[in-house]
Amino acid sequence: MARKLPIGYCLALVVVLALAASAGAQTRTGAWVDEVIVIEEATPAAAITRLEVGEFDVYAFTISDPALFARTEASPFLTYSRSFGSYNELTFNPYGPEFNDGRLNPFSVPRIREAMNWLIDRDYIVNEIMGGMAVPKFFPITAAFPDYARYADTARALELKYAYDPERARAVITEEMEKLGAQLVNGVWHYKGSPVEITALIRIEDERRIIGDYVSNQLEDLGFVVNRLYRTAAEASPLWLTADPAEGRMHFYTGGWVTTAVDRDQGSNFDFFYTPRGEATPLWMAYTPASEFDAVADRLGRNDFTSLEERGGLFRRALELALEDSVRLWLVDRQSFTPRRSDVVVTADLAAGVAGAQLWAPTIRKVNQVGGTVRVGLPSVLTEPWNPLGGTNWVYDAMLYRATGEDGIAFDPYTGLTYPWRIERAEVYVKEGLPVSKTLDWVDLHFVPEIQVPADAWIDWDPVAQRFITVGEKYPEGLTANRKSVVYYPADFFDKVKWHDGSPISVGDFVIGLILEFDRANPDSPVYDESAVPSHQSFLLSFRGARITSTDPLVIEYYSDTFGLDAEWSVTTLYPYYSYGPGAWHNLTLGLLAEANQETAFTSAKATQLGVDYLNMIAGETVGILAKYLDQASASNYIPYAPTLGQYISADEARQRWSNLSRWYQEKGHFWLGTGVLYLERAYPVEKTAHLKRFELHPDPANRWDIFAEPMIAEADVEGPARVTIGGRARFDVWVTFEGEPYPGNLISEVKYLVIDSRGEVALVGTADFVADGLYEVNLTPEQTSQLAAGSNRLEVVVVPIPVSVPTFESATFVTTP
Amino acid sequence: MAATQAPSMQSPASVGTQSHTSAALRIIRYTLTRLIALFLTTVVGVYLTILIANMGGHVDEIRRATIREGLAIAIGMSPEYAQLTPAQRRQLVEELAQIEFKRLGLDQPFIVRSFRYLGNALVLNLGRAEQLTSDSGSSLVRNIILERLVPTLLLTATSFFFLFFVSVFAALGLSRRYGSFLDRLSVALAPLSAAPSWFYGIFLILIFAAVLRWLPFGGMVDAPPPPSRWAYFLSVLKHLVLPVGAVVLSSIFIGIYSWRTFFLIYSSEDYVDMARAKGLPARAIERRYILRPSLPYIITSFALSLITLWGGSIILEQVFNWPGLGRLLYQAIQLYDTPIIVGDTIIYAYLLAITVFVLDFVYALVDPRVKVGDSGGRSA
Repeated sequence: MARKLPIGYCLALVVVLALAASAGAQTRTGAWVDEVIVIEEATPAAAITRLEVGEFDVYAFTISDPALFARTEASPFLTYSRSFGSYNELTFNPYGPEFNDGRLNPFSVPRIREAMNWLIDRDYIVNEIMGGMAVPKFFPITAAFPDYARYADTARALELKYAYDPERARAVITEEMEKLGAQLVNGVWHYKGSPVEITALIRIEDERRIIGDYVSNQLEDLGFVVNRLYRTAAEASPLWLTADPAEGRMHFYTGGWVTTAVDRDQGSNFDFFYTPRGEATPLWMAYTPASEFDAVADRLGRNDFTSLEERGGLFRRALELALEDSVRLWLVDRQSFTPRRSDVVVTADLAAGVAGAQLWAPTIRKVNQVGGTVRVGLPSVLTEPWNPLGGTNWVYDAMLYRATGEDGIAFDPYTGLTYPWRIERAEVYVKEGLPVSKTLDWVDLHFVPEIQVPADAWIDWDPVAQRFITVGEKYPEGLTANRKSVVYYPADFFDKVKWHDGSPISVGDFVIGLILEFDRANPDSPVYDESAVPSHQSFLLSFRGARITSTDPLVIEYYSDTFGLDAEWSVTTLYPYYSYGPGAWHNLTLGLLAEANQETAFTSAKATQLGVDYLNMIAGETVGILAKYLDQASASNYIPYAPTLGQYISADEARQRWSNLSRWYQEKGHFWLGTGVLYLERAYPVEKTAHLKRFELHPDPANRWDIFAEPMIAEADVEGPARVTIGGRARFDVWVTFEGEPYPGNLISEVKYLVIDSRGEVALVGTADFVADGLYEVNLTPEQTSQLAAGSNRLEVVVVPIPVSVPTFESATFVTTP
Repeated sequence: MAATQAPSMQSPASVGTQSHTSAALRIIRYTLTRLIALFLTTVVGVYLTILIANMGGHVDEIRRATIREGLAIAIGMSPEYAQLTPAQRRQLVEELAQIEFKRLGLDQPFIVRSFRYLGNALVLNLGRAEQLTSDSGSSLVRNIILERLVPTLLLTATSFFFLFFVSVFAALGLSRRYGSFLDRLSVALAPLSAAPSWFYGIFLILIFAAVLRWLPFGGMVDAPPPPSRWAYFLSVLKHLVLPVGAVVLSSIFIGIYSWRTFFLIYSSEDYVDMARAKGLPARAIERRYILRPSLPYIITSFALSLITLWGGSIILEQVFNWPGLGRLLYQAIQLYDTPIIVGDTIIYAYLLAITVFVLDFVYALVDPRVKVGDSGGRSA
């Protein structure tokens, strides 16, 4: 029987509980949640239902279906994160004007390709085909990424120039077709007596099928005969990419691309998408950009400029030339959403959603709750074998193993900038004249006339003697580099950071990574893997040396010829997080021993070559093989690559590692180790379930990455006069807010404005003045308004925030009168 | 089909050693001929599967292009390779592509590989998959198939046995009550089987999982799976209810209707009327005069339906996230993973051949009019 409690007692209890929860939140380390249970659900519609009834907390799949988006928006139980990483275009075959068999290819003419921009109504595609889940796209850069905001004025002007205008398209195409010798007979274009047939290669898996039909219809209206080939990705590949363009197996293809992270420098996209340098395929080899465009794209691709201003000039010109070339016609930037319960907070990458966010695990939590369980639905769970060197790269597997690991630096999911994660700070040295800048304080940037690589830096590896070859040995005449980074790990790093089996991280975990880079690509090594050779050769093209200048605290110097525009991107940490997940020296060693004895292999290529199973460290038969080598290694207190690693790994450390790993294997039944906030409790591959738990020894406060819990996408509103006198002054207020509150001024990079006049041209461009947090003013001077003709004008405002790369656009119309 | 002949006119006393030898020879000859015929049929069937699954070799072109496409895009878009010249990039793509071609056997002509697929399949050397792995990571086709076989059999066999026996016995009961309300109801409900099982599955999920919250949406077991075996077993049972229910709903009415019609036909035979006229009990008539002569058909239906369980159910497994063979085969077809397609097919082909072969002998056992290996008789 329940007893009634006095109200005062209840209030006191509430206060005590709230304080306890608050204290818990302050002292909590690692993950906010106690456990994450991952469940397979292949159907997005079913997943939304499971979210609504509370069976899932998050469905970590980026969905583009407008109907499901409407359902999610309408549900009181659900919310979502938006992402912008994929986009669609038309890829033209530029070969011609005649194919080998004499057929005409109108798209060999740049002006006809350019005119296609006027023929295609991107707004129609966005609204009618994509159901609003997209924005029109004109350029090879993403509207949600920083470069678009940087050059928004140029971009908007070009978007207006190339806005939908079918009559203009018809006029240009007619003119050019006649120049080619074609004739319009009874409304159908003929060339040398035969109708001009366009082969449309249309992908069928998504909205591209309807887009392909729409484009075909427009071409048929102009008098072309369109042969529509509907193909899947695999079926289309031999027709558009690897076939000889001269054979004319397609005229245009409905292409699609994905960006998996916020790209801060999209300058190389011009080089990639428009020049033969982009891809080593027959189609790309057929690209013949105009010499100016070719040079501009090349310079942007190689970062061949000395200042960001110079880059700006090149970039703006490239935007213009890309539309004139139009070997690709960009259609839409797709928008996707990742649905979740309203009471769940989690970081979602602006490009890749929750599944692609590096920091999803440290940020996921239920609102106002410390601990508890979060259930995550995924379209596919435990798809392929896990191992750090050559395991699965499925996005859904990667999402899970990313939660178990961490890196030296963390990527801001909203801007692409990087922050220290395990490192404390860094210094970057670049040669004078290179266009590198920095944004954040944790990195110091220095420009130097020359970077000489020290003679004792490691540059190569001797697999027989098992020792590094130094720069002094290999290059007695000396070696220079374009960039040097020096990373400093914290003084308490080795005390605080532990692997999931309880082993403290050590220098050996860092050094083995560099050894493996060389050893696996060397035929004299017992773990030689020919599939590692090509990428290693590319690595060698820019690698100029590495050196550990201090082991405690750990300081690592890295020399390279590559660099990024952001100094933050030019930091190499050598943290033991590999291409396919985290790896400690001791669990990697078991795989190396098994591979050396040809019982399993890290890569599927070598596994096939040996006729053995591909190494899976979390389940299956290869776990048993690793267990056998664990016994052997424990018995002999084995240290791999002893001539080198023996200098960094003591016998005591090795003994402790093998003991910890044995206990771990006994408890968990697998060999997957990381240093991340979650560890893999158990994988259930057949049941398609994974169970991740909070790593209690993780050193970071749980709230460390809460700043990335939600993107601060600005909202804008423009207020001003409806009528402006030509030659008079005009003032417009721009209100910038986030969730109803003024957007802090120190978090706004700039507020640009453009005035589009009554002729549809950009008449004025400028920057709004800061007034107060959340308020900016556009002040048009008499001189400026004098430039406007009488009629209707549109003021467009572009707000560029610092915390997110997504600019916000808003506009207001006004009439100019004499 | 087994050959049959008219009843022998010889007296039992005249059947001696010679006739036994003759019967044995006849059976051996028949067995060998039948085995060879079935084997050749299997060979042709499996080779056709190999040809079709590979579009007569065109899949090689698709796969080579897909591999080159993936590599070219990855290398072209990666800043890691930005410093390479176009020629170096082309070379790198080609080197990596050649490694992958070698791994997948694409460095050999398809015709050579097709016969190797066939030869290995016939001796049940299923080899390794080219793309897929088992859920636990093995690339052995045997392991991949075996891993999925258990969930598939669990789902399909449970549904099948339930359906088969309930249908047969319900139909038998209805055939006794021809024209009754229940009989008319079963006829009226038969069109419900026009909808496939996954269609019912969606409705069952909506009602019992989404609205009532009584049963799980899908999967084979709770997440995370219960640690004790008993709890695990109960969890699997709970997860079986909806998919099995969907299969049963989609098939039971037409099943009952078909069997009922079948039994009604047998019930109206002259010898059944004669038995009734003689005053035999209804149970005896049912057992001796209806069930017994229809037994070969029932057994055939049972056996052939049983082996179709092998294939699983692609869409139903997808709707219920059931990790079965149907989804595996679908994935394999999408990825052109020939060893898995061939492995799945050869096992089905052998099961079918063995079933057909064994049925010939079973007919002879259950029907005295049937003799194995005699070619001059009448059909059963």
